[in-house]
Amino acid sequence: MVSYFVRRLALVPVTFLFITFLVYAIIRVTPGGPIERARMQLIGAAAQEAGGGAGATDLGEEFDLTPAALEGLQKYYKLDKPIPLGYLIWLGLWPDEQKEGRLSGIVEGDFGKSYRYGKPVLATIVERFPISIYFGLIGYLASWLVCIPLGVFKALKHRSAFDTVTSVVVFLGYSVPGFVAALALMLLFATDHFGVNLFPLGEFRSENWDEMWAAGETWWCVKDQISHTVVPVVAYMMASFAAMTILMKNSLLENLGSDYVRTAFAKGLAEKRVIFVHALRNSMIPICIGVGHAIGLILAGSFLIEKTCNIPGMGLLGYDSLIGRDYPVLMGLLTIAILLRLTGNIISDLVLALVDPRVRFS
Amino acid sequence: MGPIGTVIYLGLILVLGWLLTRKGIPWLAVRLGRLMGFRLRLTPIASKRIARFKRIKRGYWSFLVLATLFVISLFLEVIVNDKPLFIRYGSSWSCPAVKDWADKALFFADLSSFNPKRDFGQAGNSEVDYELFTRACEDTSVLDASIEEARDRYEQAKERFEKLEPPGPEATEFVRSRYEQRRVSLEMRERQYATVVQSKAWFEEGRAAILPTLYSFSPDSFRLDLDKSPPNSPDLTQEIPLGTTPSGRDVLVLLVYGFRISLTFALLVSLCGEVFGVVVGGIQGYFGGWVDIITQRLVEIWGSIPFLFTIMLIGSLITPTFLVLAALLIILRSWVGITFYVRGEFYREKAKDYVQAAIGAGVSDWKIITRHILPNSLVPVVTFAPFGIVANITILVSLDYLAFGLPSGTPSWGALLRTGLENFVHYPHLVTVPVVALAATLFMVVMVGEAVREAFDPKVFSRLR
Repeated sequence: MVSYFVRRLALVPVTFLFITFLVYAIIRVTPGGPIERARMQLIGAAAQEAGGGAGATDLGEEFDLTPAALEGLQKYYKLDKPIPLGYLIWLGLWPDEQKEGRLSGIVEGDFGKSYRYGKPVLATIVERFPISIYFGLIGYLASWLVCIPLGVFKALKHRSAFDTVTSVVVFLGYSVPGFVAALALMLLFATDHFGVNLFPLGEFRSENWDEMWAAGETWWCVKDQISHTVVPVVAYMMASFAAMTILMKNSLLENLGSDYVRTAFAKGLAEKRVIFVHALRNSMIPICIGVGHAIGLILAGSFLIEKTCNIPGMGLLGYDSLIGRDYPVLMGLLTIAILLRLTGNIISDLVLALVDPRVRFS
Repeated sequence: MGPIGTVIYLGLILVLGWLLTRKGIPWLAVRLGRLMGFRLRLTPIASKRIARFKRIKRGYWSFLVLATLFVISLFLEVIVNDKPLFIRYGSSWSCPAVKDWADKALFFADLSSFNPKRDFGQAGNSEVDYELFTRACEDTSVLDASIEEARDRYEQAKERFEKLEPPGPEATEFVRSRYEQRRVSLEMRERQYATVVQSKAWFEEGRAAILPTLYSFSPDSFRLDLDKSPPNSPDLTQEIPLGTTPSGRDVLVLLVYGFRISLTFALLVSLCGEVFGVVVGGIQGYFGGWVDIITQRLVEIWGSIPFLFTIMLIGSLITPTFLVLAALLIILRSWVGITFYVRGEFYREKAKDYVQAAIGAGVSDWKIITRHILPNSLVPVVTFAPFGIVANITILVSLDYLAFGLPSGTPSWGALLRTGLENFVHYPHLVTVPVVALAATLFMVVMVGEAVREAFDPKVFSRLR
């Protein structure tokens, strides 16, 4: 058992290094990096100064970066180093010239500076962290609250009309991606097209939330926050709702057909006790294992939903940095996402080992 | 073509598509298989499973509906296209829509058609204005405007030509060439005028004919025939059943072409991914030992790549085409999941007596894998497929939605959703149409998947009451 987890843990750094190196290499190899952006800005500014008389392409030749400036930029963005060396500097295993030859990289907890915000990457990410956790956690807890009772009820009423009808809903939920559901929900409940205008159009809270909070309008603030929460949370639930319900149902059905349940019935226990104490506890095992896999979604958020609902969480930060070529932020987010995912998988195994004494890893 | 004609036309297409799906393609597949030397006989287990699948009505019918729609969508160029099926003018004729279809179907050959206006009674050298041609077939008076225009042009050219003196022997090169130019231009205008005048007579005599497609707009044609500038809400009286996008493209056309792209993409990615996954999983499970331990670690590492993020990253740097995007997705993702199942199946089957007997009899590895183990370990492959298709459709839609997917201008549901997100306060049809289409398609695929799983891998629950 211990050796299994040691092996799993040993695989984490390998995986981590492989993926970050892959992404680092992709970023470095492909055109359109930060220097390209700086050049475009320069040409754009020059074109404006010239009064827009000549096309930007003509000016491109004239106002292009001087070789010295290009070299300076390359040095600033650390693009003058070969890819493996640049990667080692990013990791913090090779001295960084810009930091007077100190070691400075993610190993030391230094993710670099954001190209766009000028702030340290870690601060930028930590700022967005609570927003993603807020939606992810509420969404996940809400799906537990819905899925477990629903799954239990479906299992107990297997093949009844209720089972069939809810199955249709569950499969519909499975087939519609979360962000599409968010879009549909906003159309239904946040515009006047269908006469129900209950919720705002995305965003984390209203713009004047902080002022109202300072003014002591607590009740208004709570209401405002809740109304902003409903649509994204339902969209988040869509992601895990269907799979979890079906899992709950099937696992309870399986347990209800097993020998120990038959024994429990045979010795005369009440049906309620057999179902809810004996069978239900064992059927929760597969659901508990899911916790580890869901950690990534809970903590890092879904950029599709955040983009659709315009929530400034980590997902939207990733999307914006991708568009804005803000590579330090991108690499930082990637690092966190991979670590969450890898630890999540191990946590799942650990949870399984803890809750199910029958499991022996080898 | 009135509404009744449209309904009959549509019905005909549906019936043809249905017959092709139910009879034509299975017949063709069997014939081809026999030609290639396969013995096509279902094993008792397989036929039992298929019978069980057919008994699950909701899944079976979803499958038939999806298959029929997909087969019809393969012929979209001859159903929804701004070029007509057939056009005849005097002795020249052409089938531009059919050529379009053949051009797409035989992607290696260049069969695209170009019909210049001058061959079809219109003035100019660009592609025929099929819409004007169609209207002229019904009512020749629409040609009066173009006749007038051609006459005006002719008279202008004549006036300008007559202003010039014929150049004498001592005239400069410039004067001579200008004179020559105007003479040529006058001749051209005269010819065009004559063509257009003649065309009215030919249209009246019935020497011109056109057979438009069912819905004569293309994904790249813009609806400029409407009262209001785009986007337009759905309006049947103006023949825009599902409205237009902000750039003026017809939503119905984008929808049907997007259906084809989504499904083709998902089928291609799923199929290639499964084949690759079966190969890898099979090697792992069959040979076991060190091969298995090492490759399994590699597969685990590869499977941890955040593939959507990576594809977005690559998509933001280059604009991937359809095939590049499919290849990326196959390589990064779609083969990984199936290897775990196939590996397990191979392990189980290899331990069984019939395989051990085959090994003992000296049958080659290749033959054992392909003839003995593989047919018995295909259950996860089949049950996995529909859910893989759902995932791949969703991935394509997500990528297009974020504008990291197919090149802009490709008719895709994701791009439609993106325009919907930008405009949904005023034009809800841009959201409702793709959402309903996506939900319905994915729902049907899930129904198929559920039925397939039930038929191939039934779970029997028994419980005491």
